[in-house]
Amino acid sequence: MAGVESKKVSCVGFRFNHRSRWLAGLVAFVLAPHALRAQEDPGSFDIRSASVVLDSGVYYLDAWVEYRLSTDAREALDAGVALTIHLDVEFVNPRWYWIDENTGDLRQSYQLQYHALSERYIVLNLNSGEQNTFATLFSALNDLGRIVNLPLIDAALLDPTQAYDVRIRAVLSTEDFPGPLRFLAFWRRDWSLRSDWYRWQLGD
Amino acid sequence: MATGRLKRVVNVLTVIACVLVWLAALIWFAQVAQNSEALSRLQNGILLVSFVGIAVLLLLIVGNLMHLIRDYRHHVPGARLKARMVTLLVVLTVVPLLVVYTFSLQFINRGIDSWFSVEVEEGLETALELSRSALDVQMRENLAEVRRMAQQIARSGRTDFVTELGELRRASSAVELTIFAAANDQILATSAENPSTAVPQYPGDELMFQLRQGEGGSYVSLEPITGGALEIIAAVNLIAGTPRSEPDVLLATFPVEQQLSELVGRAEASYDQYAELSFLRTPLKTSLTATLSIVLLTGLLAAVYGAFFSARRLVVPIQQLMAGTRAVARGDFDTRLPIPARDEIGFLVNSFNDMTKRLAAAHEEARSSQQQVESERGKLETILARLSTGVVSLEADMRIRTANQAADAILGVDLETHLGESLIDLAQTRPLLSQFLTVTRSHLERGDSDWREQIVLRSEVGRRILMCACAALPGERDDPGGYVIVFDDITALLQAQRDAAWGEVARRLAHEIKNPLTPIQLSAERLRRRYLASHTTDPELLDRATHTIIQQVEAMKEMVNAFSEYARTPDMEVTRFDLNDVITEVAELYRHRELPLTLELNLEALPPVEADAGRMRQVFHNLIRNALEAMEHTDQEWLRISSRYVRDEGLELVEIKVEDSGPGFLEEIVEQAFDPYVTSKPKGTGLGLAIVKKLVEEHGGRITARNREQGGAEISILLPVTGEAEDALLLSARRHDRRRERA
Repeated sequence: MAGVESKKVSCVGFRFNHRSRWLAGLVAFVLAPHALRAQEDPGSFDIRSASVVLDSGVYYLDAWVEYRLSTDAREALDAGVALTIHLDVEFVNPRWYWIDENTGDLRQSYQLQYHALSERYIVLNLNSGEQNTFATLFSALNDLGRIVNLPLIDAALLDPTQAYDVRIRAVLSTEDFPGPLRFLAFWRRDWSLRSDWYRWQLGD
Repeated sequence: MATGRLKRVVNVLTVIACVLVWLAALIWFAQVAQNSEALSRLQNGILLVSFVGIAVLLLLIVGNLMHLIRDYRHHVPGARLKARMVTLLVVLTVVPLLVVYTFSLQFINRGIDSWFSVEVEEGLETALELSRSALDVQMRENLAEVRRMAQQIARSGRTDFVTELGELRRASSAVELTIFAAANDQILATSAENPSTAVPQYPGDELMFQLRQGEGGSYVSLEPITGGALEIIAAVNLIAGTPRSEPDVLLATFPVEQQLSELVGRAEASYDQYAELSFLRTPLKTSLTATLSIVLLTGLLAAVYGAFFSARRLVVPIQQLMAGTRAVARGDFDTRLPIPARDEIGFLVNSFNDMTKRLAAAHEEARSSQQQVESERGKLETILARLSTGVVSLEADMRIRTANQAADAILGVDLETHLGESLIDLAQTRPLLSQFLTVTRSHLERGDSDWREQIVLRSEVGRRILMCACAALPGERDDPGGYVIVFDDITALLQAQRDAAWGEVARRLAHEIKNPLTPIQLSAERLRRRYLASHTTDPELLDRATHTIIQQVEAMKEMVNAFSEYARTPDMEVTRFDLNDVITEVAELYRHRELPLTLELNLEALPPVEADAGRMRQVFHNLIRNALEAMEHTDQEWLRISSRYVRDEGLELVEIKVEDSGPGFLEEIVEQAFDPYVTSKPKGTGLGLAIVKKLVEEHGGRITARNREQGGAEISILLPVTGEAEDALLLSARRHDRRRERA
């Protein structure tokens, strides 16, 4: 009985060995691009801090967002592809009985571009049209991540008896990519960079 | 019919819609590849729709395939044809698609690669470098100019920067000049070409950082501004003449010469576009490959499904035809198939329907004619069964095909239970049938199949005369397919004819002979009376002669009387009485004779019999006298009369047997023992047994004569207890014979 079993086992073992070469080849083929990319910087968007200040009836946002572009995004940027980054701000009315009510939202969009001739990074505020240039990507991202006194909403539009939550996040827009890249971004999740929602109660 | 057409229209519309959606997806993919913004928002939705479509197609195909495999395994009719068609269609569509796909991929890759070349890249880089060099010259000049302006401000030692700046700006090519306090980034003075629109250029962190590097720190950079234009920003520290711890900063903005700006801008744009394209090369290839793959996959799956669909459309009518054919083979002629389309298969189905319709009509016709034949046959059988004529049909090899009841009764064999058996085999143990067969075969072996003959069959109980006719049944070629033999038992008929003839003879004799006898006798007596006394010459002769005449005339009278008695048929006086009484009464008359006679009476109890007592008495007188006369010269006179009651198939009969120890009948005359004047005795009129037979038959009875095995004769009489018909007794007597034969 034992002899039979051992035979069986060895048979299975042989099969596995025989197949394993193919399997290994297949796995290597599938995983190779991912393995290579694993050494690359996947990038990250993080909201380090955020606060809302009420000044003369208007809520202003101060925030510090740390942008770190992925290697792919940086390569695209250096090749002249303009990257669009959205800063989404939402006022929500939390409800225990149903999904939260969205009272108001604001999207601040920026375009980051590399200017080959001047070798400078241009940060364009798409909402205001204001443009700044930077010699390094670091300073460009730093400038982008420092949000100071961004007017959000008139306090009169909010119900003073209601407790509101504010949440913000930063998103690299894949929809504004050039066609082929946008198609690629549909398949490859590593192209979509976005921060988690950073949420706090208004008035804290 | 209308719903079927509607369904077809809906199907066609669905297919057209699917094809349109597919084409739209294809065009959209092409648009995406060309970087169109218009449809970009729909991308995810359309991709999702594509995947859902592919999934649905896959499910449909897998379902169809499993169905096909199951059908194939269970040998469902049409499955093989369907499998073959599907395989063929799939191969025919998939192979060219794959070939086109492979070539398309190669063309895409090579085509995209051909856009790029090292030379173009180098050329563009050179152009960019050139642009930079051209701008560098201006930047250096501008920086030198700013330095000069800074020195001029330092030399002048004035604190009224605004006026001085204005003068300096107007003297230079700068569009804007600003002095900042480095400590707090405060604007000390500014002068702009167009002061209403421009906000003074603000020194960024980089600028300040670079200026702080040292005493003679300077900064110059090329700034792209909105609208694609360029400007040069140059800044230096203002050192001398100011008491502050940190030097102030002079910042100047210079425009780039328009023509240069345009040229440089164009070079930059070209480089930019090329770099972007170069970067997007791999994603473009990937996306085009993916697009092509999705389109191909959809097309492929649609083709495979189309193969299943068209195979089904073709095979279903064939399957229906097969099922219909089987139904027809089973005998269901009411099968009608739906006509799939007005094509060749439709024509085939139409022909099939036409055929089944005709078959059904033909079948119905055949059935009704068969019914007619059956009923005719039933009638014929009934007629044959009621017929007193025997009818037997034989195969060519003498096997019995049919036989009616009369044939059974006449031949004494239950032929109906031996249908299909050879008549020759049957005849081996049945003497009657054997004689019948001998005659029949003698004709048939001569090749005489149509004949007519009177046959005499001899049995233990007497002769039976048959009128027999044979005819050949039509068969293949010239050989007969069988024979029909028709025969009538004419024994009774012949007997009746003979009896009638004898009756006529008797009446004539009585009339013609008896009349002259009386005058003869009277004349003889008169002669005797007159001349016997007077005649003296030879009175003895006269006496003897007249005596002889008178005696012989008397005897002749007696004979004629007896004969007329035989012919006479007085009315029957039927009463109910015990036959045994009559037998005993008659027998007693003979018991006390001088001759030594042993008379045995063996009488069983009998029911009263309906008969004419006088005639019965005569029957027994005649029988006993006949026996005694037969035994006249024998030593031992022994006579036995026995009677018994017989029930035969509901028929009540009385059987009387008269046996004697005489010499018996001569073999030649045993058959005609009851005919008049047939006798083997020296005495007697020869009418005794004939009269007995006549009387018995008048009572519906039957009489037979035979020789006993121990010697002597045996005459047996069967009489019906009630006055039943003669034919009933005849029939039962025949059955009785048959049973005896079997035994």
